Amino acid sequence: MSGPRNAEDRLRRLLVMLPWLMEVGEAPLADVARRFEMTESQVQSDLELIAMCGLPPFVDEMIDVFVDDGIVFVGIPRLFTRPLRLTAPEAFSLLTSARTAMELPGADAAGALGRGLAKLAAALADAGLATTTTTTTTTTTTGGDIDDAAGVVVDLARPEFADHLAEAAASGTELEITYYSPARAEITRRSIVPRHVFADAGNWYVSADDDRSQSRRTFRVDRIESITATGRTMDVEATTSPGRFFEDADVDRATIRVSPDARWVLDQYPIDGVVELADGWAEARLPVSSDRWLAKLLIRLGPDAVLIEPAGESPAAAIARCMLDRYRPVAG
Amino acid sequence: MVDRIERLTNLLALLLETTRPLSLIEIAGDLDGQYPDADKARRASFERDKSALRDIGVPIETEIVGGGPFAGQTTYRIDRRAYELADLDLTSDEMRALQVAVAAVRSDSGKEAIWKLGGALGDERPPVSAMIPERPELPAIRAAVAARASIEFGYRGEPRTLDPWGLLLRGGFWYVTGHDHARGERRTFRVDRFDGGADGVLAGEPGSFERPSSFDPRTAFPADPKQIGYVADESTDALVLIDGLRADAIERELGADRIVERNDNGSILVSVPAGNLAAFRSWALGLLDHAVVESPPELRAHMIEWLTAVVDSNSEPGRR
Repeated sequence: MSGPRNAEDRLRRLLVMLPWLMEVGEAPLADVARRFEMTESQVQSDLELIAMCGLPPFVDEMIDVFVDDGIVFVGIPRLFTRPLRLTAPEAFSLLTSARTAMELPGADAAGALGRGLAKLAAALADAGLATTTTTTTTTTTTGGDIDDAAGVVVDLARPEFADHLAEAAASGTELEITYYSPARAEITRRSIVPRHVFADAGNWYVSADDDRSQSRRTFRVDRIESITATGRTMDVEATTSPGRFFEDADVDRATIRVSPDARWVLDQYPIDGVVELADGWAEARLPVSSDRWLAKLLIRLGPDAVLIEPAGESPAAAIARCMLDRYRPVAG
Repeated sequence: MVDRIERLTNLLALLLETTRPLSLIEIAGDLDGQYPDADKARRASFERDKSALRDIGVPIETEIVGGGPFAGQTTYRIDRRAYELADLDLTSDEMRALQVAVAAVRSDSGKEAIWKLGGALGDERPPVSAMIPERPELPAIRAAVAARASIEFGYRGEPRTLDPWGLLLRGGFWYVTGHDHARGERRTFRVDRFDGGADGVLAGEPGSFERPSSFDPRTAFPADPKQIGYVADESTDALVLIDGLRADAIERELGADRIVERNDNGSILVSVPAGNLAAFRSWALGLLDHAVVESPPELRAHMIEWLTAVVDSNSEPGRR
């Protein structure tokens, strides 16, 4: 933890710390430091500095705060008793976080989160941050929060098994799953202990201890075909940050050219680099988890993509032939 | 020499406490010796402090004196009601729910907001989380949606004016849907393709449009990612045969009511909207040899033609 150190960041942190201290009256220095993610010496020096601030006729008396023997004491609150209003990015972040949490497994829309969100939306509307009190249009009577709900929507498209996996992660339940691996076009059966379920870039993943590989693996939830509990329960571990699915430096690379219509590929997938070509075409180098994955991309893009590397027959040819075979009527 | 924080704090306190707007001369007088004496240096230091305070969210109001000996001078104050956070009256379980929400999304600005509300993230580590992409344009767009203010922005090098109706996070990207002034119809834009970051979004007058009462960003969203910035067409259905290996997954994806037929070998026949040709084709091709388009005939012919072209362009020696 290295706290904020430039003047603006230090002041901003002080302006949230002071109202909280005035509310509680006194608090151990260590608690204050942990709560606001600073070191104890940073908290102490910033508080000592702020205590020296003052205007005539209250020089040195404006903010009555001191640290003694590891405890922070606050005297009579005068200034900075209320926190500064939320900034637009903070308000956006808080609302989005709450809306996102509503989309996560186990969310109770009618419960504490829903009520907290409603109060927040109403307060932001009053403060002019959300439904900035504009003209009295016909919509205002229906309530700011209902209106605002259509203003920011988080759609995480949660697959069916996400809830089950989240429960298992919370309880340490071991599950037997069948998992479709597109890289090998096969279904495997394995026992996993889910540790963390997360949504990232439009997909859901479960990070789990996998018996087949004897390691922590990340699985895409929509590729899990079935789930049954094995009846065994493991210790629940403190969750660690999940990694991203595709951050693998070791996988093979391919170079493809894409037309202007297929440029969305450059946004959709992780790519190493892009070279702009004539007529809006672009050449990109991208990691390829398997030949089958690359073939799928090329088949979907059709005339909008050309494989440059690897040289030789493109993996798309064999698979496209095989797909064409399925369109031919079976004899007899 | 006074520490910068001390001067900033004193300036903040002075402007909060004052009963009338103060000029820079008066401010420098009250903060005796903290600002340089020379006019130019004093103005520069003060402007720097003022923008530092505004950056952290302090609403400093300016006013030009109308008459008298100081006519034309700029004066400054902070309206305490605008400065202070309104009391949300959160119960402890509501506060906790918001803390868990922010922890699940791991947002830094969300954390600052929680601190202001009197909470703290502590060691919250929910077993479920979501990565929400942060874009500098979003707070400004959201504010414009709420205020019913039009926005101007550059999109792939082209200037656009939009009445923003709503923001939608879907598939890992943020989209804004609204009425495009120049096109005269509804359009959807991907926010990360805006040109120019937070400063690239210019909001107009609040209350400049009304949002259709039935608007929902989820249903207004075009079906095909390639159509972002365009309009989606109406829909017709195709019948697709899915083999046994992918049948369960597709049933989960589409829902059981899309299944027209279940076969003994485990395969299923499903009915899928295909009005948007590019989106449908991309979906069906993504299933590779696990799916065959059965009808309508012209769609089946289109798939065969497409695959034949892929075979030709990807085979040796046809390949360049």
